Amino acid sequence: MRKEDTVKLISAEGFEFVIDKNAAMVSQTIRNMLTSPGSFAETQHGEVTFPEISTTILEKICQYFYWSLQFASGKETEFHIEPELTLELMMAANYLHT
Amino acid sequence: MAMYIRVKRSKTTYFIQCDPTESILDIKQKLHALIDQPANDQRLILVGTGEELDDSKTLADQKVENDAVVALTLRKDDNEFEDVDIVKPDDFLSIS
Repeated sequence: MRKEDTVKLISAEGFEFVIDKNAAMVSQTIRNMLTSPGSFAETQHGEVTFPEISTTILEKICQYFYWSLQFASGKETEFHIEPELTLELMMAANYLHT
Repeated sequence: MAMYIRVKRSKTTYFIQCDPTESILDIKQKLHALIDQPANDQRLILVGTGEELDDSKTLADQKVENDAVVALTLRKDDNEFEDVDIVKPDDFLSIS
């Protein structure tokens, strides 16, 4: 894995999650940021800040990205979501088109 | 992709794709590409058990499973390794 193949997602509290670009692109919103011509300034540095997404939710989202890749490659496991996270997670998922 | 682990240090989490048959040294080399610290200056600790992970053994050998959290510590200037330091978001909220 090369550094150029990763993106850093930064939460509201400034926590950083370094994930593979392929995983990040499970999100249509992030995919658009990473692939649109004349791309976003953030994505040229491989960093995207989400001032409205809390750390706990952003980590769950990253776990979901990887789960999604595993599921797509035929590994059928369940994705566990704590009930208290559901609402915030749905709002973030809506924003990220995930 | 067979599995991934979450390697944490301070406020940063690295999601590392890997395979149960890979050795810890393989993982450290992947981290080297991301953090500019050679494998020799890294120490990995499985957070669930507090066990230090051995370079020569595989992930499966040491019961490092999919989605496991592994702490990363780095060698300091005095040649000793730093203590495990993972900041949790709740800590942050209680401070602010």
